[in-house]
Amino acid sequence: MSTRAVIDVSELPHHEFDTYDPVWWGNNLLLAIETSMFMILIATYFYLRQNFPLWPPPVAMLTATLDPLPQLSYGTLNTILLVLSCGPMILTDISARRGNRGVSQVGLVIAIACGLGACVLRGFEFSAMYFRWDSNAYGSVVWFMLGMHMMHLMILTTEAILLCVWIFTREYDMKHRVDIVTVAVYWYWVVGIWLVLYGIIYFTPRLG
Amino acid sequence: MSHKEAQKAQKAQKRTVSEEELVAVMEREREELEQTWARPTGLRGWFTDTDHKAIALRYIKTAFVFFILGGIEAALMRIQLARPNNHFLSPDQYNQIFTVHGTTMMFLFAVPIMTAMGIYLVPLMVGARDVAFPRLNLFGYFIYLIGGIFLYTGFVLNTGPDAGWFAYVPLSGPAFSPGKRVDIWAQMITFTEISALVGAIVVIGTAFKMRAPGLSINRWSLFVWAQVVTSFMIIFAMPAVMLASGFLASDRLIDTHFFNPAEGGDAILYQHLFWFFGHPEVYIIFIPALGFISPIIITFARRKIFGYTALVLSLISTGFIGFGLWVHHMFATPIPQMGESFFTAASMMIAIPSGVQIFCWIATLWGSKLNIKTPLLFVLGFFAIFILGGLTGVMLASVPLDLQIHDTFFVVAHLHYVLIGGSVFPLFGAFYYWFPKWTGRMLSESAGRWNFWLMFIGFNLVFFPMHKLGLNGMPRRVYTYLPETGWGTLNLIASMGAFILAIGVLVFVINVVWARRAGVVAGDNPWAADTLEWTTTSPPPNYNFHNVPVVQGRYPIWQATADAPVVRGLSTTKRETLVSSVMDAQPELKFEIPGPSIWPVLVAVAAAVALIPGIFTPWAFLVGAILTGTVLTCWFFGDPNYKNKTARETGERSEPVPAARELQPKEI
Repeated sequence: MSTRAVIDVSELPHHEFDTYDPVWWGNNLLLAIETSMFMILIATYFYLRQNFPLWPPPVAMLTATLDPLPQLSYGTLNTILLVLSCGPMILTDISARRGNRGVSQVGLVIAIACGLGACVLRGFEFSAMYFRWDSNAYGSVVWFMLGMHMMHLMILTTEAILLCVWIFTREYDMKHRVDIVTVAVYWYWVVGIWLVLYGIIYFTPRLG
Repeated sequence: MSHKEAQKAQKAQKRTVSEEELVAVMEREREELEQTWARPTGLRGWFTDTDHKAIALRYIKTAFVFFILGGIEAALMRIQLARPNNHFLSPDQYNQIFTVHGTTMMFLFAVPIMTAMGIYLVPLMVGARDVAFPRLNLFGYFIYLIGGIFLYTGFVLNTGPDAGWFAYVPLSGPAFSPGKRVDIWAQMITFTEISALVGAIVVIGTAFKMRAPGLSINRWSLFVWAQVVTSFMIIFAMPAVMLASGFLASDRLIDTHFFNPAEGGDAILYQHLFWFFGHPEVYIIFIPALGFISPIIITFARRKIFGYTALVLSLISTGFIGFGLWVHHMFATPIPQMGESFFTAASMMIAIPSGVQIFCWIATLWGSKLNIKTPLLFVLGFFAIFILGGLTGVMLASVPLDLQIHDTFFVVAHLHYVLIGGSVFPLFGAFYYWFPKWTGRMLSESAGRWNFWLMFIGFNLVFFPMHKLGLNGMPRRVYTYLPETGWGTLNLIASMGAFILAIGVLVFVINVVWARRAGVVAGDNPWAADTLEWTTTSPPPNYNFHNVPVVQGRYPIWQATADAPVVRGLSTTKRETLVSSVMDAQPELKFEIPGPSIWPVLVAVAAAVALIPGIFTPWAFLVGAILTGTVLTCWFFGDPNYKNKTARETGERSEPVPAARELQPKEI
């Protein structure tokens, strides 16, 4: 006859938000990878700049030489859109925590619309550059930065669309509410990293 | 005994079930667990089995095959260099062989096998039923396998990369390396790097969140610490090589100019990017090996480790300093002198945590009653070889000396002393140590001794003469040399040593084959070790532990009391495991982890559709991306059983979890 103490865990929940859930950790570790990737990419940008007396390099036209600073219009518009998109995302985030399905749906739909809009604007941003990726090293690195970020925008928007379809057609369960909160983290990250890239791509050349 | 206690004891006795009832309950639970955690078998199992032990053993076997292939390549090089003016290999074959040898050993053997050890052992050491992300884990294996096969397919078709395992530009650029050889290298990097990153996430997620109650962070086995530090290094280092190889591939495929000086690109940038990864890579290979050494020393010295905190801090500081060394690979490039001095200082500084660890181990071994078995023998061999390699490392950190012997065989000697001594010897020790847990049988001790001494003598015969060859001026990566140089004798000794080393590895292979059939049956804990993996059967059941254990100290088995509490309340009919808090391992969730699935392998194949044709046309990436997206969408929606999952807790409370409060052991 022996007794053995036990720790009874039968009352524990299956899912909980943020640091409780392994998915949150997995997502954040992936973002750590991508953050270090962008940091190294930014270092590359400034490293290559050392090779250029003028950055971006001047473009020789038929009659004059143009100082091809990246045009601000589309990039700025996109930045505003991305910052605004955080609004519906925050709403979605909070409603997922509270379990308010309707608000989550509305918030996600608006956020997705912003995400799609940002992808389209990014297309214009590429064309607003005076260089192609194969023009020179400046063109290569700027296209790469815009491209890597666009890839994240597209993945992010796709993820949001899939989740949105799920909560419209299937159940608004804890597992997927945790997913929504996790995607929101990713969303803030994509916007945040863009603010850094926006400053670097559009303004550091203007600082001279 | 006080009155109160007596009453309590009486009460407890009343509620105690009889021995027979208990046995019956346990037996029923065991059957249910077996059923719930059943693994698919046969071909289906090969593609869908997410059991971390199965995946890890597959990783280990695959990586070992690549180790043998890399070894054969090394042997071919040693035959070629055995005498001057030899024409056993052509210069082109030699270039391909040394490139594929380096690439194989670094990317297809060392990193994956170290991750694999973590994937097998970390869940067991922290008392989890499986890793945090079992399907991601399976995906990581397949992407690695495809990458390895891809490289060797190119090699067999005479399209093996030939620009060195580092593929420096401009040699590897479009102007000097036409054809697809370097593209195969660059894309193979992408495959193995994805796999390493995935492995890192799996290991960190498991170590952080899947721990048994009581296993607070200050009780982690040093093995777990080493795995976690390594995984974080992977997370911060691998993106650099991803960019380096990505830039290189795009320079070659779509005419970008990252490394083209004519258009403002920079060849030195490549070296920075490569070594910002490449130097931490050395520690990514080496730190897990440090993680093997501590448990082996604890077990065979039969005492607690000396300086646990110092060892942990050494691991972490090695992880940080490892990122401040990369320029010492580039002393022969035009780096500002101030920069050189900084990196010299950092390179010497990293000797400090290494020294601290070695002294802690020596202090543990000192005066203890050593139980010298093969695993410990390999660790002692590590001391001898790694210290020599470390000393030449400190020498190479000095700029004038480095410039003199840059790109000579001295560097070849140094790096093999560090990597084979620092990594492969502890790895073989680890094989001998954990083989009983993996298979249930012991490797032969006497064959183990032969294995060790052949490898130890062979290794030193191959690589020690290379120090002298380097000082005499023999450059690396030359396919032959003239008789007048006088390098013939030492090269011949090195080549003979290579065959002794090879025989040592062969003895190991024979030992494994023999032990699988006829080895002594091991039992749960053949070495009387202290970590959690030894509490379960050998090999462990699919669910690892019948009852999740409760850890009472840093040495869970040695410190366990007879009435150690256990965790109850996890479902036996669902794949539930305990999720706990990061610092104190307080139970937080009953988390249901996913089981076998076909999707991971399909995602790996879809990614391969982007990457492999991607060396010919950029459009492959578009096709591959769409395909990958489609497969992932199907994965997300495609689980037919989703309605039966415990995940459905619609409308549950949203206030914070009560798990934050301490769950007190209570009696049944």
